[in-house]
Parts: sequence; structure tokens; C-alpha cells
Amino acid sequence: MSQHAPPHAPLTRQSPNVMMNTPGMEVKPAVVSKQAEEVIHGVVTQVVCSAFTDHILVVVTQYGKIGTLVSVTPNMVTGDLERPTLTTKVLLGCDEPVVHVCAKNLVSFVSQESKNKPVLLGLALKDKSVDCVTAVKEVIKRCQVW
Amino acid sequence: MRGSDVPGSQVPARGSMEAMELSHRLISIHNFSEKISERLVHFHVMSLQDCFFLWVGSSASLCSLAVAMCSRFDSMPLSSMILGDKSDTTSSSFAQRLSKRTKKQVFASINIPCNDSQLMLLVEKRIKEEMESFPEKF
Repeated sequence: MSQHAPPHAPLTRQSPNVMMNTPGMEVKPAVVSKQAEEVIHGVVTQVVCSAFTDHILVVVTQYGKIGTLVSVTPNMVTGDLERPTLTTKVLLGCDEPVVHVCAKNLVSFVSQESKNKPVLLGLALKDKSVDCVTAVKEVIKRCQVW
Repeated sequence: MRGSDVPGSQVPARGSMEAMELSHRLISIHNFSEKISERLVHFHVMSLQDCFFLWVGSSASLCSLAVAMCSRFDSMPLSSMILGDKSDTTSSSFAQRLSKRTKKQVFASINIPCNDSQLMLLVEKRIKEEMESFPEKF
């Protein structure tokens, strides 16, 4: 391993399994992300999911932009055995009921499957129909990082 | 139809969608790390159409998030905290400076202790270097 390490780096501080044998400082990324794209009703839809320790970031876009940012947070009550209810809050962008409905439909399962982590959703959909939201949800499932 | 691991260094291949006319660019994800002042700092950039998301941190937490964008009313971009402690202006000032530099909408999340101003300067310098080396990633 030592021949791959940069000469200035103190060897004792590096764990060999995080160093790759490429030049420079190549370390395993701290943030794991997956992306997928699919044409839904003729519209190119891109999905990126990134896992942070305290949040899951999901970007769903048909405009190529982040769009409306919505936080979907589980209401955790200690001793509650049932699935927690979710609170949606528009942090940036258009705060209208359909955005809350889409957000809850799209990422409730992400929060549930990731041990109730809050989800940050970037939503930029041209088509907010039930069919489209259902199809987008399947794409999110393929980008599982939690 | 594709769902794959993102190695962080390339835009996905077009595959079966070659025939599709894209009106916007594909999202690119770029990760890099650097040892700065004895501390390993990770960088994660998600670049979209006319905007990008930049995350910086030592551990993979997302404690703060700020947004900044240019407006025609002021030479300095507007910025706002959208997640986390509003009194900690690190993320919003970063977003503001990056927005001024790139003229894009910038989402920034800086998750390193803000008491070390020297570290902050080095982090910003590192981002600028990466922007010069890989302008297409931002």
C-alpha cells in the first residue's frame, strides 16, 4: 500500500481499506447516491437519492432543476408502536396542497424504510397525475440508498 | 430504464434513450475528498440545469442548507437558510459567494465546525480549484 500513498501523507493515519490505489486523494465518498432516469408519459424524469446520516435527499425532476423543496418528517412519539404520521413542509417554492400530496405519496415509504429518517424532497414535476406519481415512485425504489 | 450506482465521475451513458430529445442536461454527481488541516473533508456536488447542490462535511450529516440566487436588483446574490440553525451563516454565505461566481442558483450545506476560519478558507479554496479543474461538474 505504501507505494501508492502520497509521500507527504502520514502513513500511520491511513486505514488501507479506505485508500484506493489511484493517485492523489481518492477516498470512498461520504455521501452514497444513486440516480435513475425514465421517460414517463413522454417526459424525461430524473431521480437522484442521496443518503446522509440524518436525512435522505430525494430529487425528482422533469425540468432538470431542484424545484420545490419539501421536508417530510416523521412525528416520533416515544412508545408509539404504530407507524409514525408524517408532516410535510414546503421549505422553498410553491406551497400548494398538491405539492404536499405528491410529497407524501412519493417518499413516505423512504422514511419508513430508512428507520424513520426525515426526507428532503426536491420536486419539479410537469405532470402531477396519479399515474405519473405512481411511476415516479417506482423509479425512486430503484435508487435505494437507505 | 436504468438505475445504477453512481461512481461520481461521469454523466450516465445515454443507452436506450439516445433517440430522446433532451431539453435539459442530465444530473451529474461529483464526489471528492481532501485532507485539510489534518481533517478529512468530503465534498459532494450534484449539478442540475442552471443550479447545483454542494455538500461539504467530515461526516455524512446534513445539518444546514442554504440557497442563493442572483437577482437583477442587487449585485450580491440573495441567500436564505432553508434548513438548520439560522444564526449560523456559514452555509448561506458560501452559497452566496458560489452563486456570484457561477451565476447559478446554489444550494449549499456546509457541515464543519464554523469556529475554524482558517479551515473555511481552505475549504473554499479547494472548491474553487475543483471548479476550475472540472467546470462541467458544477
